[in-house]
Amino acid sequence: MCPLPVPTLSETKPAVAVSVVVPVYNEEQSLELLQGEIVESLEGAGADRIPSFEVVYVDDRSSDDSYAVLTRMRQADPRVRVVRLARNYGQSPAMAAGFEVSRGAIVVTLDGDLQNDPRDIPALIERLEGGSDLVVGWRKDRQDGFLLRRLPSILANKLIALVTGAHVHDTGCTLKAFRRELVTNLPIYAEQHRFLPVLAQASGARLDEIVVHHRPRIYGQSKYGISRTIRVLMDLLSVKMVSSFSRSPLQYFGLLSLPFMALALIFAVRLGLQVGQVSFASNWGQATLLIYMLTIMAGAFFLMLGLLAELVVKVSGLHGDRVFAPLERHGRPNGSVR
Amino acid sequence: MVAPPLEFAGEQPEVTLVVPILSDRAEVGAVIEGLGNAMDSLGRTWEAILVYSGVSGPCWEEGLALQSSSHQQVRTIQLHKAFGEAVCLSSAFHHARGRWILTSPQYVQIDPASLAALFERADGGADFVTSWRSPRVDSWLNRLQSSLFNAFLRRLVGTSFHDVNCTLRLMRREVLEQMTIYGTMYRYLPAIAHHRGFRVDEVRVRHLAEVAGGSGWHGPGVYLRRALDILGVVFLTKFTHKPLRFFGALGGLSMLGGGVIASVQVALWFYQDDMQGLYQRPLFLLGVLAFVLGVQIVGFGLVGEIVIFTQARNVREYRIEHVDE
Repeated sequence: MCPLPVPTLSETKPAVAVSVVVPVYNEEQSLELLQGEIVESLEGAGADRIPSFEVVYVDDRSSDDSYAVLTRMRQADPRVRVVRLARNYGQSPAMAAGFEVSRGAIVVTLDGDLQNDPRDIPALIERLEGGSDLVVGWRKDRQDGFLLRRLPSILANKLIALVTGAHVHDTGCTLKAFRRELVTNLPIYAEQHRFLPVLAQASGARLDEIVVHHRPRIYGQSKYGISRTIRVLMDLLSVKMVSSFSRSPLQYFGLLSLPFMALALIFAVRLGLQVGQVSFASNWGQATLLIYMLTIMAGAFFLMLGLLAELVVKVSGLHGDRVFAPLERHGRPNGSVR
Repeated sequence: MVAPPLEFAGEQPEVTLVVPILSDRAEVGAVIEGLGNAMDSLGRTWEAILVYSGVSGPCWEEGLALQSSSHQQVRTIQLHKAFGEAVCLSSAFHHARGRWILTSPQYVQIDPASLAALFERADGGADFVTSWRSPRVDSWLNRLQSSLFNAFLRRLVGTSFHDVNCTLRLMRREVLEQMTIYGTMYRYLPAIAHHRGFRVDEVRVRHLAEVAGGSGWHGPGVYLRRALDILGVVFLTKFTHKPLRFFGALGGLSMLGGGVIASVQVALWFYQDDMQGLYQRPLFLLGVLAFVLGVQIVGFGLVGEIVIFTQARNVREYRIEHVDE
């Protein structure tokens, strides 16, 4: 069976060297300042290092005047591109839309609230060109409240590192630099932009991180609260499971069915030893039989789910794709893999 | 196989009127005449497609007669069997030339003069205009069940529509180009379009009279199907891209409940003096059952997540309205 071709987000050749993608939601006061800083930073790096760039602002249907400000900025500078979403979707979809529209060989993502410092972009790009596929910013000196913002973040990152084995200090930092291949091949959905490093590493990408500046918020409101932490944990679970399960579903679902099968076996042995005693006439016999049936059912159920998942993965044609295959490298020096 | 496009007379019109014909009691002539005259008086050019969902007899003859007497301004399509409204709409859309698609029920139950309000909203920038029969001329039972149903839907899906069952709807071409409609999703088109990021407006229209036979107590099967519909719409609009959240919440709850029940029973068995065996505690079995059920539900969530993970690039969850360069 020939799998259907999976359309990639952008099949055109990179038209510019660097795309800066900025998801925007209600940041009318910060935008012009931010644009000034980005231009200053990228032009300051010199035309030999960054020959051309574009800034893609994704307006996540702001309710303030952000879009009008962006339109003004676009008229003033042709390197600005503005994507307007049909309604408010959240940061991850906004970022995915920005990736889809971006044309750069290198894609840098940045928060719209001025807390990331655009002056760090050249350093990120330099590190990327040194032989990495993804460079993640680390807000080592983070300018946010400790209890509500920093502590949950530290704990979440420790947990992510523990569970996934991707050792990045600060997965939640929006300031990241990607190679184009990574952007076109990674599936981003739900609120998973913060797990991009994990997914990237699963596809064989070389991760790297550098310490970036972080500034206190000047304008606007923070869009995140503590309730996010729980959702982030749920997402963590799904990212971890999905990225490993999708490789060989039957193996993993088989693993899940193992405890139930073992339990069933124990009961079966017990039944075998006590043939005379186990019957529906005795209480203990009834309980044993019921639990025995339940565990057999659950074990078989997981095996069947595993088969179903195999079917899904096969039909998707992803195994011929680069989400699972290692990224190709063309004569670049091998950098250290973190 | 895709049929060749229908041939219409004249220039490309502004509006394509689509009427799914689902039963032989349809008032084909009256619907076309009423809505056609209304559009004429509003100065809109139009064409009409009558889609017969496996309906033949005098009703089909009437459509054919209309087709020739209107000089192909009205066209008819016959489906091989009763596929339902969703298939009617998508096969008509395949032939529609208008920039706007107007769908209508097969009876005249709404004052055609109400079309003016729909077009007004469309000119005001709406992508989709849905109508609300208000005040409703109907039996108390019908009014009650309809308002309950819509209230449920509003609460669960988070939309603001009062009458999703009213199929007099005006939508931009792009809406249908960007959505796949199947099964009972036809009924919930406004909610789904809203979720896809289209601007959906609701206008009040004048309800004439409910058609005989379409009212009253529908029987348990119908209510069960509506309940399943609501579940489906909620799941598809809220959890398409994160199935594990839905199944995880359900399964987690079941696991938690089952775990607590079972461990309380074990503790009681351990510490109580009466030596009542574990097997004499049906609640213990219930706990184990709930726990295993929960694990299985989470397992379903995982499969759902794998489906989305492998198809994420085909199922985009955002809609770009435009890119300004």
